[in-house]
Amino acid sequence: MINFEEELKKFHPSLEVEDAEEAIYNQDLTDMADLLVKMIKESGVDVNGQ
Amino acid sequence: MFCYNCGCQLSEHDYCTACGADVSLYKKIMHVSNMFYNEGLEKAGVRDLSGAINSLRQSLKFNKNNIEARNLLGLVYFEMGEAVAALSEWVISKNIRPEKNVADDYIGMIQSNASRLDAINQTIKKYNYAYTYCVQGSKDLAVIQLKKVLALNPKFIRAHLLLALLYMDGEHWEQAGKEIQKCLRIDRNNTQSLRYMKEVEHMLSSDEGDRPSSKRKKDETMRYQSDNEIIIQPLNVKENKGGGFSTILNILIGLVIGAAAMYFLAVPAVQKDAQIKIQEETVKWGNQLDVKTSELKNLENQIAALKNSNSELNQQLTGITGENGTMSVIDRLLKAAAIYMETENLEQTAEALESIEQDMNVESASEEFQNLYHLLRNTVGPKIAGDYREKGYTYYRNEDFEAAIEFLKKAVYYDSSNANSLLDLGNAYRKNGDSDEAIATYDQVIEQFPDTEYARRAQQFKKELETEE
Repeated sequence: MINFEEELKKFHPSLEVEDAEEAIYNQDLTDMADLLVKMIKESGVDVNGQ
Repeated sequence: MFCYNCGCQLSEHDYCTACGADVSLYKKIMHVSNMFYNEGLEKAGVRDLSGAINSLRQSLKFNKNNIEARNLLGLVYFEMGEAVAALSEWVISKNIRPEKNVADDYIGMIQSNASRLDAINQTIKKYNYAYTYCVQGSKDLAVIQLKKVLALNPKFIRAHLLLALLYMDGEHWEQAGKEIQKCLRIDRNNTQSLRYMKEVEHMLSSDEGDRPSSKRKKDETMRYQSDNEIIIQPLNVKENKGGGFSTILNILIGLVIGAAAMYFLAVPAVQKDAQIKIQEETVKWGNQLDVKTSELKNLENQIAALKNSNSELNQQLTGITGENGTMSVIDRLLKAAAIYMETENLEQTAEALESIEQDMNVESASEEFQNLYHLLRNTVGPKIAGDYREKGYTYYRNEDFEAAIEFLKKAVYYDSSNANSLLDLGNAYRKNGDSDEAIATYDQVIEQFPDTEYARRAQQFKKELETEE
């Protein structure tokens, strides 16, 4: 049996057009490639393979 | 594929031929991103939009610069009615690759049409209002708002799902099922839709089987939606297919009811009208009767008057034509005249004249009658007067005074200028003991013949009578 209150919690207000710009700016675009490069840099491995 | 270090294009080797950086892991990450993109594309092709979103987001997690994945993700969002999310992806895509990017076209398509952009914004606002109503408990208002949202954007899956949830909460399972069907047409494998649909089907199937009898009695209807109408059909109603006999019976019952209604409603009014007419007719005839009655009375009065007139005329007629009528008297007068002219019989003529005088008043007769009567009388009178006087005197001397009076009266009648006759008559009265008549006769003598011997003698006889009394 579906509980209305519990299901309602899964719904959220939708972003309006005016809020789109802020949402875009706040979006984290870090991906796996970025993580990989960061890890490589932190490890200190010479990018030339040394 | 380009080197993450120097940006040169990579070869098939696991290292960059330009800078020598180890790109094996990097290549794998790119491959995984592409794999997820392909998966997302395949799912989008079969309308598994939720699955496509998951795959494409995974792809972007591995490679944020996967422009195709980002553009496709924006498309999928837009198809699900999430316009702002779609715009976000396209804007990011355009920032990553400003040139030769299809995201530019997508953004232009939305922003170029101001009314469409406004409609999108209105849709989002109304959805947010609806969500707020749901949180506040105003479910009816939320339903209304969501219907407006879906009128503007029929592909807004979240609005469909929220509306379905509201229907399910209100136990409108059929309507909830309809909304969920719409969601599944857009996004075939939407998890939430599938879960709601399972619940709806479960409730609908249980309603058909296990509903208690009391509730069954109350809810014995079938509801289904046809276009924009909800049709509620009672289940236990059996259509009457009997036809003939029941139809005839119903018609007969209807006729009876109609006749009863007519009898109780129409007939009294008709009777009242008839009574009013009868009363009017009665009044009219009563008035006519009164008129006729008055006419009748007038006629009766006229008849009475005519009868009186008739009787008077009859009397007059009798007076004229009767035995002693005028005609008869005239005949007798003419007869008396004829007797005298033919026979010169004085006595018969005198008798006729006397009978005439006895039966009528000669003075009331016509002038001609009187003239003839007086002529005869004056002709016959003096002659017959002498005879009557002699007879009367004879009876006087014989002391038959009554006979003497009779003849002397006639003598005086026919010749009143004869004093002797008058005096003798007085004496006859006196001798007969009739003092009053005697005195009256003596007075006549005295009056008619004053200063004569007759008057003196009458005076003397009168005194004697008065002395005796």
